[in-house]
Amino acid sequence: MNRRKVLRKGGLIAGGAIMAPTLLSLLQSCQSQPRIDWQPEFFTTEEALLMSSLVDTILPRTETPGALDVKVDVFLDKVFAKTFDEESQVNIRSQMADFNQSCEQKYGDSFSDLSKEDKVEVLKSAEENSPKFNGSVWGTAVGTQKPVGFYRSIKSMTIWAYFTSEEIGKNVLNYDPIPQEYEGCKPLSEVGNRWSL
Amino acid sequence: MVNFNIDAEEEITYDAIVIGSGISGGWAAKELCEKGLKTLVLERGRMVEHVKDYPTMNDDPWDTELRGGLTPEQKKKHYKGIRSGFIGTDTEHFWANDEENPYTEVKPFLWMRAHQMGGRSILWGKQTYRWSDLDFEANAKDGYGVDWPIRYRDIEPWYTYVEKFAGISGEALGLPQLPDSHFLPPMELNCVEKHVKSRIEKEFPGRHMIIGRVAHLTEPLNGRGKCQYRNRCSRGCPYGAYFSSNAVTLPAANATGNLTIRPFSIVQSIIYDDQKGKATGVRIIDAETNNTIDYKARIIFCNASALSTTQILLNSTSSRFENGFGNESGELGHNLMDHTYRVGAMGHVEGFEDKYYKGRRPNGIYIPRYWNIDEKSTSDKFLRGFGFQGGGSRAGSQAAANIEDFGADYKDSILKPGPWEFFITGFAECLPYHENKVYLDHENLDKWGQPTLAIDCEYKENELALNAQIQSDAVEMLEKAGLSHVVGFDNKHEPGYGIHEMGTARMGKDPKTSVLNGMNQVHAAKNVFVTDGACMTSNSCVNPSLTYMALTARAANHAVEELNKLNI
Repeated sequence: MNRRKVLRKGGLIAGGAIMAPTLLSLLQSCQSQPRIDWQPEFFTTEEALLMSSLVDTILPRTETPGALDVKVDVFLDKVFAKTFDEESQVNIRSQMADFNQSCEQKYGDSFSDLSKEDKVEVLKSAEENSPKFNGSVWGTAVGTQKPVGFYRSIKSMTIWAYFTSEEIGKNVLNYDPIPQEYEGCKPLSEVGNRWSL
Repeated sequence: MVNFNIDAEEEITYDAIVIGSGISGGWAAKELCEKGLKTLVLERGRMVEHVKDYPTMNDDPWDTELRGGLTPEQKKKHYKGIRSGFIGTDTEHFWANDEENPYTEVKPFLWMRAHQMGGRSILWGKQTYRWSDLDFEANAKDGYGVDWPIRYRDIEPWYTYVEKFAGISGEALGLPQLPDSHFLPPMELNCVEKHVKSRIEKEFPGRHMIIGRVAHLTEPLNGRGKCQYRNRCSRGCPYGAYFSSNAVTLPAANATGNLTIRPFSIVQSIIYDDQKGKATGVRIIDAETNNTIDYKARIIFCNASALSTTQILLNSTSSRFENGFGNESGELGHNLMDHTYRVGAMGHVEGFEDKYYKGRRPNGIYIPRYWNIDEKSTSDKFLRGFGFQGGGSRAGSQAAANIEDFGADYKDSILKPGPWEFFITGFAECLPYHENKVYLDHENLDKWGQPTLAIDCEYKENELALNAQIQSDAVEMLEKAGLSHVVGFDNKHEPGYGIHEMGTARMGKDPKTSVLNGMNQVHAAKNVFVTDGACMTSNSCVNPSLTYMALTARAANHAVEELNKLNI
């Protein structure tokens, strides 16, 4: 997909118009206001604020939609509500509380209320301190996977939720449900972004 | 499309009964029906009609609410099966319900079952290779297990026969340890795989890296379409491009007018007539009504899958067979084998950042066995050998989560494909040990009040030595091929993960030490045939399904010849 098309599609979900970068950054700054405009199934309001600002900091809106544009936070709420058993739900709640608590200790506020700069500092330190995923073969980790902790696990889920959203899957990444052929060696320039499926 | 027999009251007589409708059962049904036998296929699960019953075949991730995630209820239903990592919402409906069908792990063992028309033929990996005399002579040479009653020359024409109908894609190489099939055009290696292949073959003379040989059509065949490279196979293929009973053998059987399929039919036992000295039919439990019904036939093919067939035979006791049907040798239930799984290495391939591919190829690479194939490749550490499967591709979303970055530039960067990754993972042969076994557990009953199976199986010294060699060879090959970030791994999986259960009713020359003869007939009841994984005398390191197909077609041909001669 070419850049122009990405821009057009990216603009569509933000209200049907192609947005100038200045307008985009304006919207981004508005989004840092702590509020939610949806009804979570699992999150408390405080947890929803944390997760929304976390996924927004990881994958913000640029020329392409950000995590909030494709409702990654809303989807993660559903994942925790419907695929986690009780024990895992208790566990993720306490991890969210711990994450906010450490923000308060260090910066005096919960994550969603921090300045953009402080949020970046928090995530930089989380990146450094989070173990990584082992490689995987046929969808399963190889070797013994150490727990990756709250941040890396949320980051991974965020990317998964982003890539598997219809808007990104169809209009930003390359969508080809029925390729018909396999071409084993193709210039990347002829494809552009990664395949979505 | 298919005749149902749902008349539960009447006792009905057929020429042949086939127990199970998976890969081998489908072949038995096709061969027997085409030879004019009125054939009843008994399937313990529900009906799954080709295309019509593939509800998820066209789903994109965003089409399902949880995008593949399982609910706690679904996880409970598959509380054993989810260990495999294979069960998602796209295929959950094709995997057996572990709560209704419990089994006991005396030692850890993963038993992946699929209870519906077509069985695991809907879900299989489709890697399709001929065995060679290296495999059929293995037991005789090193003394483990008993000698196979057949050799490659006995099965060779039947490999060709089933391959022409099933449709196998691959490249002919003339390797004695991995005989060529009758091939459709091979699938293509991608640029990184071609690169690694040339490096490995240069660094390690005698080792080969080839495109996987697979039961996928690369050209249309008998009205089936060719592979569309969607890689959504295990949801069921709308084009019928890969081999399954549902798309290939059962429609052929049905076209004869001789097929009756009865779903929801759990075979409780095979009925033996002392006077006649042979089996006369089978007793089933209707899974929906719990009614018991007897069906009669002149011959019976057992194709319920290795362990389920043995479970039925063990449960079929009579004054003649007090310890299970045809179990005069005491070997029924013994010599269980699987392939070791998920031991290998992976790494990154640099220098191809400007290259990509199109299409999702449901196939990878294969490295045929190179240990213990001749005198100079003989190991002093282990018997037998292993092959590798693997492949190269550009990294997905989890690798993106490992990158120590976030924010605007990061997001734009991960929209591009990740680094090229390449992996190989070994499949090693397991020796047939008498003490690796299954037996009936009369304490734990299933939903229908039937005894369940207890599985007591473990890998031993030879398998662990093979795994150690797999890992060190894998690391060495990838390093010498110039990969970076090479990591060896051994997931130390218990048996069962390979989903290649074999043995427990082995073929052999001597009724005193085996359950079946060289034509897959129960030694002591020659109108009963076992042609699924239970019959295997050793387990090679090579994927077994093609061998089940060939043995089934061969046995069905023999069965009809013997019926015509009034020998059975």
